[in-house]
Amino acid sequence: MKNKIQLLFVLILSLFLNACSLKEDAADLYQKQSPLEADIIIPKIFSSNTQENIKVVLTQDGKKVEGADYVHFEIWKQDGSLHYNMEQAKEVGNGMYALSKDFNSNGLYYIKVHASNNGSMIMPQKQFVVGELTETEIKYLKQDLPKNDAVPEHHH
Amino acid sequence: METVQSTTIEDRKQSAISVYRTVWRWHFYAGIIFAPFLLILAITGSVYLFKPQIEQVIYQDYWVVSPNGEKLPASRQIEEVKKLYPDAVVTSYRPGENSNRSSEVGITNNNDSLTVFINPYTGDALGALNNKDRIMDKIEEFHGELMAGTLGDRIVELAACWAVVLIVTGLFLWYPKKKSKLLGVLVPRFNKGKKILRRDLHAVPAFWIAGGMLFLIMTGLPWSGFWGSNFQSFATNTGAGYPPSIWTGNAPTSGVKTKDIADVPWAAENLDVPISKIQGFIPVPIDDVVAIANREGMHPSYTISIPNEKEGVYTLSAFPPKAQDEATIHIDQYSGAVLADYRYDNYGLVGKIVAWGITLHKGTQFGLFNQLISLLICLGIVLVAVSGFYLWLKRKPKNQIGAPVAPGIKKMKVFLFIVICLGILFPLVGLSLIVVWLLDFLVIQRIGAVKRFMNA
Repeated sequence: MKNKIQLLFVLILSLFLNACSLKEDAADLYQKQSPLEADIIIPKIFSSNTQENIKVVLTQDGKKVEGADYVHFEIWKQDGSLHYNMEQAKEVGNGMYALSKDFNSNGLYYIKVHASNNGSMIMPQKQFVVGELTETEIKYLKQDLPKNDAVPEHHH
Repeated sequence: METVQSTTIEDRKQSAISVYRTVWRWHFYAGIIFAPFLLILAITGSVYLFKPQIEQVIYQDYWVVSPNGEKLPASRQIEEVKKLYPDAVVTSYRPGENSNRSSEVGITNNNDSLTVFINPYTGDALGALNNKDRIMDKIEEFHGELMAGTLGDRIVELAACWAVVLIVTGLFLWYPKKKSKLLGVLVPRFNKGKKILRRDLHAVPAFWIAGGMLFLIMTGLPWSGFWGSNFQSFATNTGAGYPPSIWTGNAPTSGVKTKDIADVPWAAENLDVPISKIQGFIPVPIDDVVAIANREGMHPSYTISIPNEKEGVYTLSAFPPKAQDEATIHIDQYSGAVLADYRYDNYGLVGKIVAWGITLHKGTQFGLFNQLISLLICLGIVLVAVSGFYLWLKRKPKNQIGAPVAPGIKKMKVFLFIVICLGILFPLVGLSLIVVWLLDFLVIQRIGAVKRFMNA
């Protein structure tokens, strides 16, 4: 009897201790998505009077994406003085899509990539600086405000 | 030969009586100890069932707006909240399921979780509620953990498990010894004297509600902190339960490397932060998340949880009245990619059953009809708990607790086996059994007065 009780005790204790954890790969047992991933490459240095090449590398399920459904770039300046509307990027190969644009004025810029492939749609947005920032832009960055005042276009 | 036979018959009779006594004894003690908790659960549950109607009345000024043109974008509404609470962290946004419903912005302000109600047509704040002051949340807390945190949660779970023991032993005691008798079994006997009526007013209604009560217990258990979380983890791990993050487990993380994320310079006094640091990915604006929710066909009652950590995700979740409308979507904070999209159809079989159990338990699955049936069961539980207690008071001899005599448990192999099985299936019951056994072994059996009082 005593042994049985002890056994029961151990059994219950072990239930207390190790049943609680969730397996890390439990998500693999359920419906999975194949999210697109984008690496947006902005030139390190912008030189005036030449067009700069902005690139995005798309991967999905660990593979470079060839022939994506669409890859559009949208670029604007924070102060509203410039807005390149959504434009299709050219496929360069090996998952890379690129577009060349003028960046003749210094300041705070945003780029938003609209891309879709095989059921996954993404719209990553990157903040970047050309040359120096103005006082107003520094002030803007310090404010906790939604960072894209310029209303971007939407895909439907 | 004959003497042998007659002794076996005697033995059988004797053992039938002692089984009856044992079961009665267990029913008796379990009832005395857990009836108060079952009473609390039934009463708080009865009120909580009507949460939708009650909140609709008490929060009318916060909830109801008159439609007037287009709704403002979510970002504008959140800006209004930030103006009112400049230091608050915005944690969630709920657009409102129809044109008459206000938007809700969840914020954390000085360690308080508030919900700010916004008229989506004008951007005006209709008021704010501190989540911990919400009366229905308090009732839920009372129902789920007796307002006593983890300890309360375990007590509720224990009471629920022991209620199963009460149902099983109660049915055994109720089961008619002579077949084809309705009176005293399915209908109370009103003309057989007070004693019999008292017994019938406990046993007969108890039989009628036993099924519903068992249903409420079994559908409530997956919520419990100990048995429930283990059960949910187990189900999720086998692929049969809820997908991870809905009940247990973490949401996926946003897939951008930390070094590629733009720094928040307003945290620093001046902008001496190198420019390279403010270059990088910035979170997808909330209006885009709303657009994604519409594109993916979320149930209109959804809420967006807004991440406040770099790896966090936007989570869209909707738990509407009907289980089959549930949805949880995780969205990468920087790319807007759908990282996981779990609908009711993606739940495993156990997950689907639990989801139905929950909406039925809460009384939302079939609306008013569901609520009334559940209310009837709750009122039945109140009646049975009270009548059981009354029955004991009336039967109890002086100076004694009035429990049936205890036969040695070791003689009841089958009963012992069932009890041990229950103890393993519901470890809290097992643990409480061990405590009772130790108490009996160390105290009750050794002190004469206590032993007499407990009739042990």
